[in-house]
Amino acid sequence: MILFASAMTDPEAYRRYARPGIRLAAEPDSVIHAFAAVGSVCRSYNMLLDRAALESDVEALVLLQQDVEILDRGFCDEVRRALEDPDVAVVGPVGARDVKTIAWWDGEISAGPVVQRYQAFGSGEIPAFSWKGTAPAPAEVDVLDGRLMVLSRWALETLRFDESLQLGHGYELDLCLKARAAGRKVMTADLPVAYHTRTLRVLNDYDLWIEGHIQAAERFAGRLEEPALPQAAWMERARRAEAEREAARTLAYSAEHEVDAELAPLERALEELTGSTSWRVTGPLRRLNQWRAQRRGSNG
Amino acid sequence: MIAFASSVTKPDVYARCAKVGIERAAEPGSEVIAAEATGPISRSYNALLDRFAGRDELEALVLLHQDTEIVDPDFCARVRDALEDPQVGVAGCVGAIDVRSIAWWEGSVTLSSFANRYEEHGGGDLPGFSWAWSEAPPYAQVGEVDTVDGFLLVLPPWTVGNVRFDEELSHFHGYDLDFCLQVREAGRKVVTADLRALHHRGIEMLPDLDSWIDAHVRIAEKWDGRMPGVGQAPGSWEERARRAEAERDAARTIAHTKRLERQARLRQVERALAEARGSISWRLTAPLRRLRRL
Repeated sequence: MILFASAMTDPEAYRRYARPGIRLAAEPDSVIHAFAAVGSVCRSYNMLLDRAALESDVEALVLLQQDVEILDRGFCDEVRRALEDPDVAVVGPVGARDVKTIAWWDGEISAGPVVQRYQAFGSGEIPAFSWKGTAPAPAEVDVLDGRLMVLSRWALETLRFDESLQLGHGYELDLCLKARAAGRKVMTADLPVAYHTRTLRVLNDYDLWIEGHIQAAERFAGRLEEPALPQAAWMERARRAEAEREAARTLAYSAEHEVDAELAPLERALEELTGSTSWRVTGPLRRLNQWRAQRRGSNG
Repeated sequence: MIAFASSVTKPDVYARCAKVGIERAAEPGSEVIAAEATGPISRSYNALLDRFAGRDELEALVLLHQDTEIVDPDFCARVRDALEDPQVGVAGCVGAIDVRSIAWWEGSVTLSSFANRYEEHGGGDLPGFSWAWSEAPPYAQVGEVDTVDGFLLVLPPWTVGNVRFDEELSHFHGYDLDFCLQVREAGRKVVTADLRALHHRGIEMLPDLDSWIDAHVRIAEKWDGRMPGVGQAPGSWEERARRAEAERDAARTIAHTKRLERQARLRQVERALAEARGSISWRLTAPLRRLRRL
């Protein structure tokens, strides 16, 4: 039996996104655990692990966040295919290898058909992580995106999320590193899902995330093939990182300028069009059409 | 005499940008040099300094990039105003205080009287915040700064005779900050002045990332301990490395967000355009527009 579990902070988001996806994907004997989140993400996920462990016949545990929608009726079949290899411990639609920090998305991403559905900018849908090239799933990776992870029976019984990561950042990296350290595999799979977001921001609270990054880097020292460094090497590393930080900030400004420059001609064209005589002359016609459409809508 | 000098790697760019501005700004007695570049910009600029050093008639040497176009016809009068204080060692039209690295724009920018004129996407201008004084924010001001941007440097005779660009640092990046730090170390002032210029360049701010990073490191190593704030940060080296790596990754993520937003904004405007062009009223009035074009 495949068990779906979610710990929610926003029940409305769960109702809108996670639940319809689970209902689409679930099999007749699937069990669904939907609970309120408790404390940090790690504590909530450990609670879901504990609850799942009470079920005797779990083949796999699907942990998903409230704003993740599964889009495929054949989800469970794909999960079983991915877990056919008994060495596979954790599976997800998105992951990365060559990961150096909790910013795993800066590694080489492997992804199934995952889209991001956003509300900003008049709403829309784009492929997730579309700012860079991604390799297709399946692939063995270092880490999975924590928004949807499928744990094998072994992983469910053996692994725990690290609740001492007080800020929660890096919980998925920690879990995947534990699985790999135990000789198991972490894999991406062809699992179509949609990430629902209000904005397109990759992170929400940068200051907190930076603190989480530092905490995780200290905690993961030695687990991410980071050699112990003498003082002089730390100096070199600091100088380089400070330079790379300034470069990254500058590239972000550049990206913003690029947007402004790219949009300017289109916005000019739109302004010219909506400011033209023929557009103004036909204004009443558009208003009439709008009114008719509204009437049709209100009449059902 | 106010002299103008450029180091030229692309004569067509010089002819289209710097030369046009110099012709606008130069006085009848101004000397104008467009010298072929010889290696790094610092070496080319030093050759120009050597050429003008000790010249009694020199009031100021204006060093400008080949893609910089001066826009003020009364530029020379503004230069004289800026150099009235004999303690001024360098003047420019963009500058900042609390500068700690070659990313001087991460300091508090006090003046940005330039516009980035780009050719991408049909071309356009990205004006700095003090390009038009009437629209400038309250913090826009001329005055003493830590550094000015090197695309336009105004140097008095003292500086031309006594300070040289560091040819060991890099091929291009950071030469301006290093020069300003030398001037300040010698007890002279670096100031922004009421000068304006167009910088004809692409939108991408760091097209050669690796060499920029190398220059950043070299400048930090050179000036750490010599100029307060430069190359320094709180904490041990390990703590600095950890924090900088975290902040670097956060900054990269912001850049990712910008790229996503770019896609979304483009789609939004394209959608609005397509809807407008596909509307019945727009199609109905097409003959009218065709008629007007005749």
